Amino acid sequence: MKKYFFYSLACFLAFPSCEKTLETKPSSTLSVLSGIKEAQAVLDAYSFMNFRAPGAGEMSADDYYMLNAEYNIMTNEGMRRTPIWEKDNLFPPGENNWLALYRVVYYANSVLEAIENKELPTNEQQEKENICGQSFFWRAYAFQKAASIWAMVYDPAVANKTMGIPLRLTADFNVPSVRSTLEETYQQIVSDLKKAIPLLPVTPVHVMRPSKPAAYAILARTYLYMGEYGKAGLYADSSLQLRSSLMDFNTLTASGNYFMPQFNIEVLHHTIIQPPNPLANSQNKIDSNLYKSYVQNDLRRTLWFRSAGTGMVAFFGSYDGTGNLFSGPATDEMYLTRAECSARNNNVSAAMSDLNAVLIKRWKTGTFVPLTASTPADALDKIITERRKELLMRDLRWMDIKRYNRDGAGMSLKRTINGVTYTLPANDLRFALPIPEDIIALTGMPQNPR
Amino acid sequence: MRYCLLFILLCAYANLTKAQATRTVRGTVTDSVTGQPMSGVIITNLRGQRFATDYRGYFIAQLPMQNDTLRFSYLGYMTRRMPAPFNQPEALTVILSPRADKLEDVVVNTGYQQLPKERATGSFSQVSRAILEEQVSTDLISRLEGTANALQIDRKSSSLGDRITIRGLSTISGPRSPLIILDNFPYEGELNNINPNDIETVTLLKDAAAASIWGTRAGNGVLVITTKKGRFEQPTRVDFNMNITSGAKPDLYALKSMSSSDYVNLEQFLYDKGYYNSNINNNNRPGLTPVVEILIRKANGSLSAVQAESQLNALKQLDVRDDFLKWVYRPSLKQQYSISVRGGTKQQFWMMSAGFDRNLSTLSELYQRFNLRMDHTLRVGATTLQTGFYFTESNTENGKTGMESISGPLIILYPYAQLADADGNPLMMSRLRQGYVDTAGGGRLLNWNYHPLEDMKYTKQTSRLQDIVLNIGLQQPIVKGLHAELRYQYEKQFVDARTLQSVESYFARDLINKFSQINYSTGVVTYRIPKGGILDPSNRRTLSEALRAQLSYQQRWINQELNVLAGAEYRSIDNSTTGERIYGYDPETLGQGYVDYLTAYPNYITKSNQMIPRSSTRIGTAYRYISFFGNAAYTYKKKYTVSASMRRDASNLFGLNINDKWSPLYSVGASWNISQEKFYSISWLPVLRLRTTLGQSGNADPSKTALTTISYLGTSPYAQTNTAAVNQPPNPSLRWEKVNTWNIGIDFNTTNQRISGSLEYYRKKCTDLFGSAPVDYTGGAGDILIKNVGDILSQGWDIELQSINTKGLIKWMTNLNFSYNTDKVLTYYVNSRAISRFVQGSSSVSINPIEGYPVYGMYGYRWMGLDPANGNPIGVENGKPSTSYATITGSNTTIEDADFFGSVFPRVFGSLRNGFQWKQFQLNINLMFRFDYYFRKATINYNQLMSQGRHHTDYARRWQQPGDELNTEVPSFVYPAVTTRDNFYQGSSVHILKGDHIRLQYINLNYDLNGKQLKKLGLQKFQVYLNLQNLGILWRANKYGLDPEYFNTSAGNLPPERSMSIGIRAQF
Repeated sequence: MKKYFFYSLACFLAFPSCEKTLETKPSSTLSVLSGIKEAQAVLDAYSFMNFRAPGAGEMSADDYYMLNAEYNIMTNEGMRRTPIWEKDNLFPPGENNWLALYRVVYYANSVLEAIENKELPTNEQQEKENICGQSFFWRAYAFQKAASIWAMVYDPAVANKTMGIPLRLTADFNVPSVRSTLEETYQQIVSDLKKAIPLLPVTPVHVMRPSKPAAYAILARTYLYMGEYGKAGLYADSSLQLRSSLMDFNTLTASGNYFMPQFNIEVLHHTIIQPPNPLANSQNKIDSNLYKSYVQNDLRRTLWFRSAGTGMVAFFGSYDGTGNLFSGPATDEMYLTRAECSARNNNVSAAMSDLNAVLIKRWKTGTFVPLTASTPADALDKIITERRKELLMRDLRWMDIKRYNRDGAGMSLKRTINGVTYTLPANDLRFALPIPEDIIALTGMPQNPR
Repeated sequence: MRYCLLFILLCAYANLTKAQATRTVRGTVTDSVTGQPMSGVIITNLRGQRFATDYRGYFIAQLPMQNDTLRFSYLGYMTRRMPAPFNQPEALTVILSPRADKLEDVVVNTGYQQLPKERATGSFSQVSRAILEEQVSTDLISRLEGTANALQIDRKSSSLGDRITIRGLSTISGPRSPLIILDNFPYEGELNNINPNDIETVTLLKDAAAASIWGTRAGNGVLVITTKKGRFEQPTRVDFNMNITSGAKPDLYALKSMSSSDYVNLEQFLYDKGYYNSNINNNNRPGLTPVVEILIRKANGSLSAVQAESQLNALKQLDVRDDFLKWVYRPSLKQQYSISVRGGTKQQFWMMSAGFDRNLSTLSELYQRFNLRMDHTLRVGATTLQTGFYFTESNTENGKTGMESISGPLIILYPYAQLADADGNPLMMSRLRQGYVDTAGGGRLLNWNYHPLEDMKYTKQTSRLQDIVLNIGLQQPIVKGLHAELRYQYEKQFVDARTLQSVESYFARDLINKFSQINYSTGVVTYRIPKGGILDPSNRRTLSEALRAQLSYQQRWINQELNVLAGAEYRSIDNSTTGERIYGYDPETLGQGYVDYLTAYPNYITKSNQMIPRSSTRIGTAYRYISFFGNAAYTYKKKYTVSASMRRDASNLFGLNINDKWSPLYSVGASWNISQEKFYSISWLPVLRLRTTLGQSGNADPSKTALTTISYLGTSPYAQTNTAAVNQPPNPSLRWEKVNTWNIGIDFNTTNQRISGSLEYYRKKCTDLFGSAPVDYTGGAGDILIKNVGDILSQGWDIELQSINTKGLIKWMTNLNFSYNTDKVLTYYVNSRAISRFVQGSSSVSINPIEGYPVYGMYGYRWMGLDPANGNPIGVENGKPSTSYATITGSNTTIEDADFFGSVFPRVFGSLRNGFQWKQFQLNINLMFRFDYYFRKATINYNQLMSQGRHHTDYARRWQQPGDELNTEVPSFVYPAVTTRDNFYQGSSVHILKGDHIRLQYINLNYDLNGKQLKKLGLQKFQVYLNLQNLGILWRANKYGLDPEYFNTSAGNLPPERSMSIGIRAQF
């Protein structure tokens, strides 16, 4: 009998070694962020990267209004306070814009730390460059969005005395967050984009992924906001050199309520705002004067707007083809940026030719009469008007108001809700939104002054 | 390799049946006092063979042809030894006498060894079969509440496994529930599989010494479930048990619902304010309640004011609970049958049992379980081979849809909803605007109406579970005193679940319609989702294997005894889950349709583009554990025992360095049998024993990874590549979590066992505990991370008492389980003191400890009553009354401004059982008590009332005019709602109540036939029993009549229904 026992014991001892057993991967869904496959998977997490663009800027801007009944049904404190420019508690703890943007930064940093300095086989080299380029792009994208929300406008005269945003350049969450100066913030955005450009492909696998023309476009957007109009014009041109197609609105057919195709030929990089209530087209209305400025032959008037009650319209023209608001760069934005920069550079004909190139595609065929301008100022005026109309609800208006005011436009914003009129005077300190209060409490960073 | 092992074990089995040269010794054992034969006396020889006497006190022992000594032992009797005769002329007569000084002589099963309780230094308590049988239930675990010492079931947590705690907390973030062992190995199947009728005892291992043999998973205590077994030399016995349980319909009227009249009036008010305008004009065409539809028709003139008023008044008379009780809920019915056969001969014993349960819930949900168990032990020579087989199959089928699962336009159903008309014809409810649904598609789409009562028929959810446990064990003496043991267990569980929403179901019709496109010129409808049922199948498979080899050494000298155990164990658990939605499913042909998941189609209603929802799951997990363990106990003169045990565990936790994979555990203990000392002279207390243990365990957190880990989210429909989220940032700074436990206890017994029991004190110091801490989410890794958050101290008393109060005609016995457990935070490294993190809503319990306070503390916003001018609730800001709710509840207000009450979990708890016996009747009454804790009662939240329909009766008591503040604490209703005002009110101290209560857990009445009656019927035992369960609360500290364990806000959290069972138990 004993022999059987010892046979069994022998078998037991012959079981796989401890080390090997303990190396079994415990879950099919888990992996270590080490190779390019994993890195690309992280950057392709579209629900975190592309679908969480911040809405705070557009919510603070002036292209929409809300009826009392629609305002009153909102329960989220942040949504109630942001449209009326309250001085604090705009970002309740939890999944807020700050968290969403810094998660993008973190994903980009994690990928960079995992592969940037890693020796990879030559056949993976190109892929590695692409992924590093995507990471730099994403980091710049997030910093640029954050700076437009939580910092005052960039003013070269005081930028190194103005508070910028925390620039997290490492994935180590133990490193404390400190606010950089606004100068440092923009240096970082520009340098990340310039690093990304040579690494990125001209044509990405999908516009969900960053590309070279998209990086040029964000760089142009950044310089435009900084007031460096020469550089902005140059980089808009670089982007247009690679991608310049425009949709002819005469050829569009409706898919449901929406005429704008998703991932259309103008889209350079696809990010969307999942609209908080004040931005949802079921809740808000577009400013009526703004709507009236789209003339009858302007196809945007019919393709982009739907009636929302007597004398009121809501916006249905997002390049997402849904109620989500497209906020990425597109070729039309680049035409208008190049046009504005040409006008500021006193090149009226180049400016008007870029402007007309876009508008002719928006008018009913044969009805468009090219706009003309007598002076650079006239051209600039027309371009600024058309810029607001063409780039409606693209998360650009808030940045534009901030920079126009820096340049002396003196635009103050007004909104009336429940009989109370709220005002945000030009260059008010509230143009830099308050950093989430829990972040201030946890880090001790200074809050934006009020 | 394992198949090879299995093969060898089977060969051994075959070989064992070959006989060896033996001799036979037979005899009878009788009681020295009564002279009656004693059954169940255990007889062992020097080689470790075991025999037992049968009901006649008779035994036969097959012994090897060697000199041998027989040892006769029986609980509570003096053990006798005598040499085994060679040429036995006649049967031996052995007389055993009761021990005067006996401790309650219990053998505890640790899962690794059987240990007489008198030699154990650790903390064990046991629930016997007799006590388990006083309750009727389908599952075993619920019978432990109120019968097991130091065990609590938290009724507010959802899953059963997480609800059990033994001796409070020893971790902040980890699992709180104990490890559950079935016989020798952890049970990986569902706990509901275990048939309570198969269980002999349940042993709780409460302290470090008791649990340390089970490794890191045993930090929360261990429950060892031991199944019934046969015995050698036992005549064949058949046991039969059947019972039937009926439960009442749920008491829906106990729900704190708002009255229909209040609700209708509120909707009228909101309508006038334009609250519904955005829904009325919404492109998504959301459904509206009947009141709003009436008001719209009144506004556009299709109803006169008088007509509208009379329709609204009719709605005010309705109560949806009447409809649910009439058309949906039924009394529950449970049936349970079990039969077992057991017997034994000289060389083997065996047991077979079968059980069948059939439960029909109040919602007519069906649960059926079939259990089959076989256990066989065979002995040849000195080798023992044990084989076991346990099979469970259960089926569940959904029934009707409960009140909490039916929603109207808002999440919570409006109180005046109607399910059916007076004749029982199902009525419609609006999920979408009725006017839209009636005309949408001009008749080309599928019917878009929703009839909740009808719809219940078209969703079929079934799940079939099969679980098989096979085990085989081999014991072999090697040299004198040294035994080797090998055990192997294989377990496989399959769960095949499917949800079929047929094409008649609202879910399927709605989805198909939304993805339909109509060409109005041709009238052709394109269905992007095929017209057919929607099937969501899922398959879950669990496969676990365990293998253990252990050596035990047992040696007795005149005054000393040594027991050593050492071994190694390997366990693996593999889980896989797969599921993929099937559209266009035809249950008859099993055919399925095709859909395009990559194209976005315009939603028929919103005209917004969206993709067809895909649901696909494919997940696999694999866990591996390797352990080495050992323990030793040395007893001197039966007075002094010292023990030590150690164990190292390793597992394949992801991303850990190999050094971090091994966690060490150890414990030491000692006991002193004071009553055995010469100087001991307390005659009324013949047994007094002191014991103490000290142990340490450690735990590495899975997030202590050196590298960034990611978790895959699925394939992107855009780039068509895998997507992944960063799962865990590298967190190498995490230190091990350590728990040091000290236990000291005394066991005692007065003369004639009038009072016996134990008293224990324990202290658990847990250092570097892991917990989630709020972090600066600028870091990107989320706003909560696992960190070493602090140290806690948990300590308490456990008292277990049994007393025989009266003997004679009426026998009265009492069992008391009393536990006191308190914990406090010693240090806490996290500096977030924002008040809102501490003040929780009514339903969630999360931790955010402060030094010196309990881990789960109950805090509330300081309450200053209502403003007499406007009924606004008043709080405190910087010591002054304030109504700036955003500040009071915001990040800048700290915990110093909150009121602290006490612990969320009961600090004092236990049960009191009284048993009475009169002639053939026996009555058992069990009370359960919980004291010294707080709970938060539910109330109205105006914001949630409007946005989710979450109504509460407190609405009726709201402040309406000056003076009301003297009689109510419910603030005035304001429009628009102010979320922070609602949060403040809900979180304020005014809702925090003492949770203390005493619950009547069960009453059990038995009637047994006596010997004469049995003889006539040819039975060994016949019993009729009656049980009453869930009888409710006898006493409570709160004056609102609330059950602190249930919220009473939805049909899903009402106290369980009262139920009554009748059954019979027979043996022949």
